[in-house]
Amino acid sequence: MTAFFVLLARNRLALLGGIVLACVVFLALITPILPLADPDVTNTSNRFQPVFLDGALLGTDHLGRDLLSRVMWGTRLSLAVGFAAAIAAATIGAAIGIIAGYYGGRTDNIIMRGVDMLMAFPYILLALAIVAALGPGLFNALIAVAAVNVPFFARNIRGITVGIANKEFVDAARLAGMSNSRIILSEILPNVIPVIVIAMSTTIGWMILETAGLSFLGLGSQPPQADLGSMLGEARSALITNPHTSIVPGIMILIIVMSINLLGDGVRDALDPRLKSGALSRPMAATRVDRAETPPAASGVGLLEVKALETQFHVKNRIYRAVGGVDLHVEKGECLGIIGESGSGKSVTALSIMGLVASPPGVITGGAAYYDGEDLIGAPYRRLRDMRGRNVSYIFQDPLATLHPLYRVGDQLIEAIRAHRPIGKAEGRAKAIELLKAVRIPNAEKRINDYPHEMSGGMRQRVGIAMALANDPDIIIADEPTTALDVTVQAQVLTILDELRRSRGLAIVFITHDFGVVAQLCDRVAVMYAGRIVEEGATTDILDAPRHPYTARLMACVPELGGGKRRLEAIPGLPPVVDKLPEGCAFAERCDRVQPDCRSGGIALVRKDGRGVRCVHPVDTREAAE
Amino acid sequence: MTGYILKRLLSAIPVLFGITVIVFLIMAMIPGDPATAILGNFATPENVEKLNRDLGLGKPLVQQYFIWLSNMLSGDFGTSFALNRPVLDEVLERFNATLVLAGTAFVLCSFLGVIAGVISAANQYGAADKGITFVVLLGISIPSFFLGMMMILFFAVNLRWFPVSGMWPIYGDRTLGVLLSHLAMPATALAVVATGVIARLSRSAMLEVLRQDFIRTARAKGVHERGVIWRHALKAAMVSIIPVLGIQAGFVLSGAVYIEIVFQWPGVGRMLVDAILKRDILMVQGGVVFVAACYVLFNIAVDVAQSLLDPRIKT
Repeated sequence: MTAFFVLLARNRLALLGGIVLACVVFLALITPILPLADPDVTNTSNRFQPVFLDGALLGTDHLGRDLLSRVMWGTRLSLAVGFAAAIAAATIGAAIGIIAGYYGGRTDNIIMRGVDMLMAFPYILLALAIVAALGPGLFNALIAVAAVNVPFFARNIRGITVGIANKEFVDAARLAGMSNSRIILSEILPNVIPVIVIAMSTTIGWMILETAGLSFLGLGSQPPQADLGSMLGEARSALITNPHTSIVPGIMILIIVMSINLLGDGVRDALDPRLKSGALSRPMAATRVDRAETPPAASGVGLLEVKALETQFHVKNRIYRAVGGVDLHVEKGECLGIIGESGSGKSVTALSIMGLVASPPGVITGGAAYYDGEDLIGAPYRRLRDMRGRNVSYIFQDPLATLHPLYRVGDQLIEAIRAHRPIGKAEGRAKAIELLKAVRIPNAEKRINDYPHEMSGGMRQRVGIAMALANDPDIIIADEPTTALDVTVQAQVLTILDELRRSRGLAIVFITHDFGVVAQLCDRVAVMYAGRIVEEGATTDILDAPRHPYTARLMACVPELGGGKRRLEAIPGLPPVVDKLPEGCAFAERCDRVQPDCRSGGIALVRKDGRGVRCVHPVDTREAAE
Repeated sequence: MTGYILKRLLSAIPVLFGITVIVFLIMAMIPGDPATAILGNFATPENVEKLNRDLGLGKPLVQQYFIWLSNMLSGDFGTSFALNRPVLDEVLERFNATLVLAGTAFVLCSFLGVIAGVISAANQYGAADKGITFVVLLGISIPSFFLGMMMILFFAVNLRWFPVSGMWPIYGDRTLGVLLSHLAMPATALAVVATGVIARLSRSAMLEVLRQDFIRTARAKGVHERGVIWRHALKAAMVSIIPVLGIQAGFVLSGAVYIEIVFQWPGVGRMLVDAILKRDILMVQGGVVFVAACYVLFNIAVDVAQSLLDPRIKT
């Protein structure tokens, strides 16, 4: 609760709204004891006095009544009616909602049908009908405004109640023999009250506006009694000659409603967990680059060379070092595997290359990624966009989430082509069909008109591959493209990728957590742990004799077909959280070969004969072979 | 598609039925003798007796309801005694004017609201976002009738850009240009609140969508950021924006009552307020049922638009 108020106070606008509202409410409360003129005493010889006159600070109205006094009394009345309507609507609506939600079944059905019917009206029609039946008057207007808001509360509260009514503690109360009404009062109600209060705080501004509106129409408060709405309504006939009589009550309504809205927004934001975590911030077109040091120069190996790449996530005051200095390279026609558990930084490494890490919170803080000698990190957005999909393209994990759900797959393919070269409709379509055929989608001429949800997972991923191929790129970065697929489909997709690599001379960076896939496809493999490469080398070498204990343990997790006797050993513990990495080896905590010197100093990746390993006490070859 | 439209139309029948029940029940709350209340100043004994016969007022409520309903279904909404004119004729004529006003305002608020929301989201926390957020807050806090009055004062009286009120001039030709000059202020004043609400919602819908994986895919393809925002993200965001447009249409229709009073627009809202003040009950009853029914049908159109946009909705 305190945390909530702290958050609320931190939002300066909400605080401002709260203060203004508190002042208005306070003034309205003490109006009777303020030295004000009587709001209803008419003095026609003194009518339409302008503002800032002696004796009448805000002037007088068409009957010579003191406007300051009237606006204060009017505010008092408007606030009272607005709050009363909100409380009435909330109470009745909540009662209906709780009954519908708690009893469920037919009761629920009948009540909610009725609520839906009420919601089918534009709200004012209902309010007008009620006022028409009951006759104009402030109390009747209050009833009308409360009544039209009941369905809103009923529906919200019902939703919450349904959720609570199925919880264990309610079942327990029922088993304990408590009556329905007691369960509702002692178990359900305390849990829905916060929701009721929030719903009220967001609607009360509306209710004040609505009652003011009805009074403005002459259907609410009747003379001489006046709320802000009827003051405006009465002043309307003198709008052109004496505008101040309209402006004074109008501004007052604006102040009240605006301060309530500011406060309400603040309350909503303070309660929304997504805002706190930054989950609602918009990722920019390219990842933010903020390199403290000049990046290392290219050493000229490979078509794509990643040097000392560092990518971090800045969330609030925390810094997560997702990638902590990664060196990679891939040759033309080569397939490099990057393997690791989830959270090891393999995807972030891959996405950093083309600036696709969501930013905020992602920031590339160091290193370089050379494509044919050109550094892509920090390249201007235009250049980056130009190369995305044309030189380096991506295949992502879950093709249902990564394809646009509302565009036909053909259109998405054509768009990929047209992003880089202008081509006509017919030509684009022909090319799209050709691409679908290249990834062996049967009946491509027809499937091109499918929406993603109409395809199977394997077919969708083929579309994903076809899209990556659309502009004949040199490098494809495949981020766990087979993880979401079942095993037979996985094999088909891998075969397609392997063929394409051979026929087109593609370089593939293949990210996975599956050693089986690596063995099938990759020439070389890099093992990542906690944002760093811990071992790299030719696939066959590493599979034969892993040198880093982590690699060895990772391989031990893979079940072998027909090798029945071997025990599958999960790695105990979890990878370290990358905002506070331990000194020394990040794997030390989980390593069964750990020794005191593993926990101090930086441990370098030692390279020798095309193998690299980041370990003080690597597994020696003989040991590993056993 | 036709099947889907038919299905939605059929599902509207119970709602329309419910609307008439609700209106009937509210009107049954009128204290005193209904015929005398309906007739008001015209309550001569002959008139009272005739009305009692026509509406079956002596009979049980259920029977009364079905008499009223069948009359309405055959196009007889009763006669307004204050205007001495069939209710339906008056409602239809007035509804046209409301449609022009509310329709224009709805188009305005839909376009401006969505565009403002997209710009706001695309520049989150930037100057444009902050400016739009502030204007939106002001827009949803100002009572439309007060805004309308201030617009009259400023644009009509001081600057003389637009006529003060009305739909047509008393003398002169009824051309489109004349209509537009009369329409400009009321339609804008009416659109302001809804524009604010739509802009807010569009902004959050866009922010939600911009984090989705398919946006990253579009960027990875090399689609220009403009295309990412205005095509990929907006199209997906429209799925949650369109239902809100439907709800806001109801608010525009509601707000039209105030605006019609402020700008002397000869619409159905002003007619209803006049009818209430004159206790012209049949007029209120007929007007409310008619407008609510139109709103229900409009919402079906919204659902159909939604199903055209989103192929995942089973049609």
